[in-house]
Amino acid sequence: MDRRDFLKTTAAVGATALTGKKLFAKEPLKPEEFVGVLVDTTRCIGCRECEMACGEAHDLLVPDVQNDNALEQVRTTSDEQWMVINRFETDKGDVFVKKQCMHCMQPACAAACPTEAMKKTKEGPVIWRGDKCMGCRFCMVSCPFDIPKFEYDEWNPKIEKCTLCFDRLQDGERPACVEACPTDALIFGTRTKLIEDARKRIYNNPDDYVHHIYGEHEAGGTGYLYLSAVPFEQIGFRTDLGTTPYPEYTKEFLYSVPLVLFGLPALLFGFSHLTDKETDDSE
Amino acid sequence: MNNEVTVRDESKRFIKFIIQEMKPRGKWLTPFNIISIPIILLGLVILYFRFVYGLGSVTNLSQEFPWGFWIGFDVVTGVAFAGGAYVITFVVYIMRVDKYHSIVRVTVLNGLLAYMFYAGALVLDLGRPWHIINPIIGNSFGLSSVLFLVAWHFLIYMTAEFVEFSPVIAEWLNWKKTEKFVKSLTLGAVILGISLSTLHQSGLGALFLMAKPKIHPLWYSEFIPILFFVSSIYAGLSMIIFEGTISHRVFKDLIDPKSHHSFDDIMLGLGKGAAITMFVYYFFKALIFIHGQHWTLITDGWGLWYLTEVIGFVLIPGFMYAFGVRNRSLSIIRIAAILSLIGIMLNRLNTSIIAYNWNAVVHYIPSWQEFVVTLMVIFAEIWVFRWIVTRMPVFKSSH
Amino acid sequence: MDSFYYVNIFETKGLEYLLLMIFLVLLILLVRYISPPTEKKKRF
Repeated sequence: MDRRDFLKTTAAVGATALTGKKLFAKEPLKPEEFVGVLVDTTRCIGCRECEMACGEAHDLLVPDVQNDNALEQVRTTSDEQWMVINRFETDKGDVFVKKQCMHCMQPACAAACPTEAMKKTKEGPVIWRGDKCMGCRFCMVSCPFDIPKFEYDEWNPKIEKCTLCFDRLQDGERPACVEACPTDALIFGTRTKLIEDARKRIYNNPDDYVHHIYGEHEAGGTGYLYLSAVPFEQIGFRTDLGTTPYPEYTKEFLYSVPLVLFGLPALLFGFSHLTDKETDDSE
Repeated sequence: MNNEVTVRDESKRFIKFIIQEMKPRGKWLTPFNIISIPIILLGLVILYFRFVYGLGSVTNLSQEFPWGFWIGFDVVTGVAFAGGAYVITFVVYIMRVDKYHSIVRVTVLNGLLAYMFYAGALVLDLGRPWHIINPIIGNSFGLSSVLFLVAWHFLIYMTAEFVEFSPVIAEWLNWKKTEKFVKSLTLGAVILGISLSTLHQSGLGALFLMAKPKIHPLWYSEFIPILFFVSSIYAGLSMIIFEGTISHRVFKDLIDPKSHHSFDDIMLGLGKGAAITMFVYYFFKALIFIHGQHWTLITDGWGLWYLTEVIGFVLIPGFMYAFGVRNRSLSIIRIAAILSLIGIMLNRLNTSIIAYNWNAVVHYIPSWQEFVVTLMVIFAEIWVFRWIVTRMPVFKSSH
Repeated sequence: MDSFYYVNIFETKGLEYLLLMIFLVLLILLVRYISPPTEKKKRF
């Protein structure tokens, strides 16, 4: 149960208490389980079907995968492509890695957003809502994975990033990229199931994988999880991001705000009273 | 009936007065006008392109560098420079040091205008500025956001500053009753203003807390908020010295002869405050340096750049302030003020732009359009400042 | 990949306290340096 849910429940309980309805009649809260995607990079063949499916599903650029030679260089997502496949040459041969929003469990972008345009849904996907966004790009500054992209050449720019096909999920479908994957390199499911699955794979094939699930703890845990045969820093992952959820870096500061505003004005008033030569209380 | 007539007469007189005051005074072809008018016009043209064709058409911002000169200099540095207002109101209204009374009005005016123009420049940088009302009217409060907090603080602080300055406006309009009323609000506004300043000065630093993996470790620290707050104190003091020196010359005729007298003393006092604050700030930096075990980082170019900032533009101007105060040398204090301001600028730009994504292949360099718009903002602020001080009793002591 | 070893997060504490003492001594010197000399004579 995250803090937002907690607040919601508290508010709900408060509301029922106020309206005088039955207080404890509600069912106990079911913790919502985040969904995510497990990427097994040992299975990816670099066909880029997912890139095309993503472009089609979201009205973005559909790459010409036969002819564009895009694998020649390491790419990043853009305002035209929410996900890309990159190729890395390693001592275990070519490894293909999918790159997109990680859908952090505690996303920095959502904590940074002053308008709640960037939002962590209770289902797990982090989505962007254009009717709220004011285009400050603080999400881009805050995201440890450098994922949100901005349309610099539009008068009415949007933030572009993977939504884990939130609209498809609501219709009971799987994300477009997962649907398109011919080798089951992408597996969609609840996070618990995915981590169990990943652990099982490492346990059953200890020589085929490095013994680490990228995303299990990185940046406080992410919805996207990765398995790899080679160390993750060799295939374009940052391994220096730490395990602290990024919003926690601002927690102390945000906490201190009401603290300061409780204490400081009173203190200042006291000071000004003490230094005032005209109001002598001892008389 | 009679009453109505006087009200009508009064409002007629008022409109006449305002129109009279709106008219330009003095010479038109001053060097400042000759430089500033074309730049303001050019800036407006650039802004047209910016709002019609997008930010990319005039700035060098990129996906790796979402915040550029307009945020890093206009907002982050500009607000630090405006810190003088809360420092001086603290000294005068809370500590009741009468010596600085004569500079309260002009400092508060400078603070108010700096917030209106430099923090206002934030709007130019927003991709979808019409949604700026969202976090204000309450249909989407991003309560977990530092930027939300900073934006709200800007708004409330500007109101507090306006209340602090309003007696001057009332005096100018000759509204005796209003003047008396708004004067009674001053202490409250001052207390609110100082409290808010501590938080949004540090809040500007807190904006970068989540950019931990992007900022060079010599500039990133969990104590950025505290560093930003402490440095805003001497940034504000240095700005008062710098700005005071200029307006002391430019607006000589407007300044009360009485305050002329103590001008040197005021500058020396401010220099003293700056010297001690910078000394403390320097040791904060040293503490963070030791705590972070950063000694392995100072051997390369970034280390040298860091030392340039911390020693060349904090420690040295700090000592210059101390030396200037001891020897009562205003010229040394002025040089120290300029060096300190450069140091603040370096620190804010390092945090927000230069050491941000420091290992990027293509690093952001502001476009000439970004510089022109920044200059436009500065010049526009000076125009308004000049208009106000030549009409309202800003340089008079507020007693 | 995940290995376990001891990290002393207070490794620099001694140095930090040393810095603090240096700071306090220097602060006194600085304050004395910038205070008007007439006041100093009175005190001694």
